[in-house]
Amino acid sequence: MKRILAVVVTVVALGALAFSAEKIKAGFIYVGPIGDYGWTHAHDLARRIVDEKYDWLETVYVESVPEGEVETYIDQLVRQGCNVIFTTSFGFMDGTLAAAQRYPNVIFAHASGFKRNPNMATYMADFYQVYYLNGLMAGALTKTGKIGYVGAFPIPEVKRHLNAFTIGVREVNPNAEVHVRWIYEWFNPAAAKEATEALIAEGCDVFAFTEDSPTVVQVAAEKGLPSFGHYSPMYDFAPDYVVSGQIVHWEKIYEDFLLKVHNGVYTTKNLAHVDYWWLLSQGAVEVGAKPGMVINPKYEAALKNFVLNHPVFGRISVYDLVFTRLNQMADPGITFDPFQGPIYDRKGRLVVPEGMWMSYDSLITLEWAVVGVVGPWPGEP
Amino acid sequence: MRRVGPFLLEPRLAAPRYVVFGVSIFAVVIALLAAVPVFVGYGLNPWQAYAAIGRGVFGSWPSFSEVIRRAIPLILCGVGLTLAFRAQFWNIGAEGQILAGAVAASGVALFLPVPDGLRLPLMFLTGFGAGAIWGLIPVLLRVKFGVNDVISTLMLNYVMSYIVEWLVHGPWKGPTMRGFAYTDAFPLSARLSYLPNTRVHWLTLALGVALAVFVAFLLARTRTGYEIRVVGQNPDAARYAGINFAAVLSLVMLISGGLAGLAGVGEVAGIHWRLRSPSHISMNYGYTAIIVAWLARGSPIAAIFTALLFGLIFAAGDYMKTTLSLPFQITGVFNGLVLFFLISFDILMLWRVRLARKEKIWAGQTGS
Repeated sequence: MKRILAVVVTVVALGALAFSAEKIKAGFIYVGPIGDYGWTHAHDLARRIVDEKYDWLETVYVESVPEGEVETYIDQLVRQGCNVIFTTSFGFMDGTLAAAQRYPNVIFAHASGFKRNPNMATYMADFYQVYYLNGLMAGALTKTGKIGYVGAFPIPEVKRHLNAFTIGVREVNPNAEVHVRWIYEWFNPAAAKEATEALIAEGCDVFAFTEDSPTVVQVAAEKGLPSFGHYSPMYDFAPDYVVSGQIVHWEKIYEDFLLKVHNGVYTTKNLAHVDYWWLLSQGAVEVGAKPGMVINPKYEAALKNFVLNHPVFGRISVYDLVFTRLNQMADPGITFDPFQGPIYDRKGRLVVPEGMWMSYDSLITLEWAVVGVVGPWPGEP
Repeated sequence: MRRVGPFLLEPRLAAPRYVVFGVSIFAVVIALLAAVPVFVGYGLNPWQAYAAIGRGVFGSWPSFSEVIRRAIPLILCGVGLTLAFRAQFWNIGAEGQILAGAVAASGVALFLPVPDGLRLPLMFLTGFGAGAIWGLIPVLLRVKFGVNDVISTLMLNYVMSYIVEWLVHGPWKGPTMRGFAYTDAFPLSARLSYLPNTRVHWLTLALGVALAVFVAFLLARTRTGYEIRVVGQNPDAARYAGINFAAVLSLVMLISGGLAGLAGVGEVAGIHWRLRSPSHISMNYGYTAIIVAWLARGSPIAAIFTALLFGLIFAAGDYMKTTLSLPFQITGVFNGLVLFFLISFDILMLWRVRLARKEKIWAGQTGS
């Protein structure tokens, strides 16, 4: 009798456990406003996509959370019954880790950080390959040989993107320069406008940037100059001038992660080594002026007419080069990386030896500037 | 005497306490009522929303403790601002003075080789000093060059904000932060302890309350306090009586800036354990403290309670964001409404309002 009772209790308990695992309530904590048209907007778009796709998933979000306040908000989300919590800013790292230790039965995932726990994973969708492809196009489109780049903060992530972009530019146009201006803000349309105008005054005629608004695109378009969208599809802001750009698909990561939680693959015990570093080949990022449009048709002719003598492919148009490189990187068995040695920094030091690729660790801690970058570079080794 | 429609306004020499208190409460209540359309606009029943917020904030000790935690920097800054405003020195610079304190404390926490036991006391001391220095610059500018204190204190906020930005991107960038713009985390000896189950760093709270009492005593019971009040209420009389303006203003801003500096120490040592992007540290506490001091009507003790009121607004705002899915600007809307009605209703304190028919005045005026 006792035995039967024990079995019944176990079955009921397991049933309850399975039931509770079935329903997922996921909380998203954002550092910016969802209307920023950049980082936070993209995360929120992804949240809505997965939310609509699965019945067993309910999502809630909080926007504009100051970094020091993340624990307060996690407390509230846990009290509301969230069993998976995503925190989407590097500055949330320590707070998320502390909360993960305090709530061992809740699953956490932190974007862009490096600290993990048995119930806390990390994830990141990175653009460096996409910036490189944009760089190829920019190198072909500049007439002055000067390309402008408005940067948010001189941190490794932005430096990595700027370097990859410059490597692309110089692959098709070995004498072109990328002029950089830092605005020290993730979202500041006024500063971005000022920086773009200053770069135009310096003679730059093609633009790329890291800032969470379409300001650079708009300011460049007013002067009739082409640019590359950042983070969200920016084609609609200047259909004649957005050549291509970087588009993120966080939903690929969120879907994969939440499905694995739902199926019991990820639990509160086994996340200590789960780190998503998703690129073109996983579909987490896309090159294009808008989804499905790699190159704005208005610029196809110019890129097809720009033919160069490539060390690997021989005579090839930039148009073909972009797609060749895209295929090499989008293919699951990636056969090309922008940071492929030999690479020299602008002080003449060999930073990636011949035939080598950069490791994940060296990519995310990258501080140097490649040859071709012109302008201030705080923290340059 | 002035007539507005059917109302007659008589100037008051001094508003009695109950009027000040009543009008302030009235303004806050009207502000809460004025926010009703915001809830309706988001499809919420405002009364249910207020009830839910009440339950959410007062429902448990950990949630209520958030009200106190958010009030800590507001008490320190608010008390300092009541003092400055009593001397009619318009210190709009608490935001920068908070950051100055945070910078000094971070420097001591990260780089100064001192014994563990001395680290926190030294952080508070240097934080007070840094805030005080940042507060004294506008005094110097006003006394020597006649620079308007509103402008100079406000502008120095930006200067300090950029100094913090420069520090975290430059010399103080933490080697363990993989290039991101943060200092390394403080050692354990530089972190404040919490009341159980909360994030209330009680030492800063105790300092705030003690200093509120000290400032109240200074203002009401000392010769210096008398001089401060005279300087504020009648500068000409103060000059005639031979009160040293520069000395009085310097003392006022030494304390006012110093208290804001202490608030900054509390934030980095209690909450962040590092220096980071300035807006995430000062969090507009320095500007909110202006409303706190205004609502306290120059009383440092009252500032403790008005700071708690704004702690409540912040905590309620956090709750509204998560539970009611209201946009993040909601806290700003509430702060703005409270300040707006507070200033609008000042007229009720400066003037006594009476309902009076026209004939009556006529009679009164002919009679005199």
